[in-house]
Amino acid sequence: EQSLYPVAVLIDELKHEDIQLRLNSIRRLSTIAVALGPERTRNELIPFLNESIDDEDEVLVALAEELGGFVEYVGGLEYAPVLLGPLETLATVEETLVRDKSVEALNKVSRQVPVAHLLEHLVPLVLRLQANDWFTSRISACGLFAAAYGEQPRLPSSPLLSPQPTSLSAPLSAEIRASFTQLCHDDTPMVRRAAASNLGSRQLAQPHGRLPRPLVGPPLGLFLQVRLLAVENCVGVGQLLSVSANQAVVLPIVRSVSQDRSWRVRRDPAEIQPISSRAPAELQPRSSRDPAEIHRSREGDPEAEVRTAAAVKLAAFSRMLAPELVVSQILPAVAELCSDGSQHVRASLASDIMGLAPLVGKGATIETLLPLFLQLLKDEFPEAAPPHPARSRPRSAVRLNLIGALPAVNALLGVELLATALLPAIEELAEDRQWRVRLAVVDCMPPLAAQLGVAFFEEKLCAMCVRWLQDCVYTIRESAIANVRKLTELFGLEWAAAHLIPKATRTRTPTPTPHHTHPPHTARRALSTVSSLATVVGSDVLYGSLLPAVLGMVSDAVPNVRFNVAKTLQMLVPLLEPGLVASQVKPKLLELSEDHDKDVQYFAQRALACCG
Amino acid sequence: MAGTSDLDRQIEQLRRCEYIKEAEVKALCAKAREILVEESNVQRVDAPVTICGDIHGQFYDLKELFKVGGDVPDANYLFMGDFVDRGFYSVETFLLLLALKVRYPDRITLIRGNHESRQITQVYGFYDECLRKYGSVNVWRYCTEIFDYLSLSSLIEDKIFCVHGGLSPSINTLDQIRVIDRKQEVPHDGAMCDLMWSDPEDIDGWGLSPRGAGYLFGGDVVAQFSSTNSIDLIARAHQLVMEGYKHMFNDTLVTVWSAPNYCYRCGNVAAILELDEHLNKNFKIFEAAPQDQRGVPAKKPAPDYFL
Repeated sequence: EQSLYPVAVLIDELKHEDIQLRLNSIRRLSTIAVALGPERTRNELIPFLNESIDDEDEVLVALAEELGGFVEYVGGLEYAPVLLGPLETLATVEETLVRDKSVEALNKVSRQVPVAHLLEHLVPLVLRLQANDWFTSRISACGLFAAAYGEQPRLPSSPLLSPQPTSLSAPLSAEIRASFTQLCHDDTPMVRRAAASNLGSRQLAQPHGRLPRPLVGPPLGLFLQVRLLAVENCVGVGQLLSVSANQAVVLPIVRSVSQDRSWRVRRDPAEIQPISSRAPAELQPRSSRDPAEIHRSREGDPEAEVRTAAAVKLAAFSRMLAPELVVSQILPAVAELCSDGSQHVRASLASDIMGLAPLVGKGATIETLLPLFLQLLKDEFPEAAPPHPARSRPRSAVRLNLIGALPAVNALLGVELLATALLPAIEELAEDRQWRVRLAVVDCMPPLAAQLGVAFFEEKLCAMCVRWLQDCVYTIRESAIANVRKLTELFGLEWAAAHLIPKATRTRTPTPTPHHTHPPHTARRALSTVSSLATVVGSDVLYGSLLPAVLGMVSDAVPNVRFNVAKTLQMLVPLLEPGLVASQVKPKLLELSEDHDKDVQYFAQRALACCG
Repeated sequence: MAGTSDLDRQIEQLRRCEYIKEAEVKALCAKAREILVEESNVQRVDAPVTICGDIHGQFYDLKELFKVGGDVPDANYLFMGDFVDRGFYSVETFLLLLALKVRYPDRITLIRGNHESRQITQVYGFYDECLRKYGSVNVWRYCTEIFDYLSLSSLIEDKIFCVHGGLSPSINTLDQIRVIDRKQEVPHDGAMCDLMWSDPEDIDGWGLSPRGAGYLFGGDVVAQFSSTNSIDLIARAHQLVMEGYKHMFNDTLVTVWSAPNYCYRCGNVAAILELDEHLNKNFKIFEAAPQDQRGVPAKKPAPDYFL
């Protein structure tokens, strides 16, 4: 009796005036149920709850949540249907939160319920909700059709799990579909929206890819939100259906959607098409022409956003088509996009265009794609208006996106073609006014060099790499120095010592370049190069050229050079013989530690501390 | 050198555009004051040095500036004021520059602009930003106290005179600047105010400034001032220039502007003026940092008073 006292309090508090206490006690509903036992729970507690659904929304949300997990407390699956009563009532209330929770709970309960019960209780429940006058319950109904079709993944623990899929009788499943169709045509947009967002569930596509009529027919209404949701769901449906079903069902929708009044709807089929035309091997050429035409129509769309979406999906989409179709249908459209008026379209195209190369083969690549590629490489972004702050891209985005693809293009075209076709473009870009473009070229040098081999590199690209070492932009010099190290690793020390290292560590620059740099930079660049190379070169180069170059700058007039000498020496000390450190390095560092500049002193003292 | 490593950590943090603790700001400002109080109103600067104009809290564009010009201490910098206001990151921008100043006093020079003032920062954003990011105005108070210690101008190798705004009718010689008592809020008129507020203009002599403070000064004024003080060039900031920099009066005066796409909407490019050790000039133009290099304005932690 003692132990039941707290439960009695909880039961009392279910009716308490203070909402907080009622809420607490709802949260402990399972405790009450355990105390009462399954039978009294079914016969007394549930009817009581049924009566008390006139409560505050906050309490109702909690109640719906609790009831979702209540199957075990009412005596197991056999008795689960008693829970449907209060949940159905909850599914009709006005507050969205309560309805959502109760739909969730209904789905949770019905996942555990055996099929026979389902037909007996859940289907009529859904049909009742659908037929209700008040739109809130019709919205709830939309979320329950999947469960009524009985194909929800069942909990593995469910002992009555039926091995076969549901066998709804043909008339019944037709009735369910008809009722869902009605919801799709509902007068209230909010109901249509709820229907649209549930279209993608697998159950409704069964059997044999039959979809509710409205999906196949004209769009779901005037409301943009509804149509957008429908498009989204086509993706889900498309993934579940066979190729032929996709052609029959999804493709017409895609076609109607691609003619939509709103560009936001037209943009979305980019997501759908790769799915709707999946498995190209199974497609007949004639039928697969359809998606290609739709895609073309979108490439000619008046809205830049739609064209951008089309450009982005270009390669992914073309991969689904037969190569002849890509050449005949897609490439001409690509040519138009190349001279598109919008920089965003061209930039998106640039990032994707080379994905087409492997699809169309070498011949078409050289004939059609290469000229387009070169045209985009010269893209200057002629923009009169200042870039929009919200989506400002570097004006060189088109070229930047392309340069990243250079090594891939080279792999396809081979060295010969690269030399004649792309090299002039690369040389031009290497001197581009935009430093980020130059940087992109600098960064793609090591992979290119690896493909091209030492002879070609030495002849055509080496001079360029040396020039970047003197670039006026600090970041480019840093990347160029990193490249010296990578190239040394790639082509071997002997080659680097002969061709690259002397130029890279030279402290005087005789030839000015368009982006030339002044002498202190040169000295500092030489020092950075030494630091970067020190660990990859052998002792010959280290003692023969690097160390003398560094020590030669100890009395430079510019303090920045002198403290960088100290920093570089600190870095070299562990690599040098102790004897050499004592005889050559230490005296210089001592000299620097007496420098009149404080920073030189500081870095020299730090280096001295490392000499031991 | 515990202080140095602590400072290096703060600099790293600020370079990531994360602002440092209020107590750290207070300590940083105390150290900065010791350094700045020793500087002259016409601070001597050695070449090579890179001259920069207005930054206005555009932190990611300041990072872009360093990417183009090189990092401190590898390159030496002279910033001609207007570090704060208008941009989203005045706090981070000013504290980064100040931390660099404390860490490398000989590598970076900061002089005062008209926005380094209590009155102006209360209107143009710095005050609100401090309040938003720290939950109190203490950081604003520490920073504005430091503003009073910032030098008024610089002289590079005795040849290039650098000032935020321009010249003043009450000043003929550099020595007259040297005797100003600068440790005060920017006054509404007088020599100190003019140095930060005046603009060059194609006129003869002096004119009234439409800004309501400072004056307009013509080529003859510049010629007279330059010959009296035997300088070759006046470098100043203070005015937006779409091309980043602009020469006037037969290359005897140059305006340098270092805030690209000013206020995130003007569409201008920015410039810095690099001088080598022989005072050879080299302008470097740069654009606003591309979108993918910019952080989103950070979600602020709840200010203390909410706890």
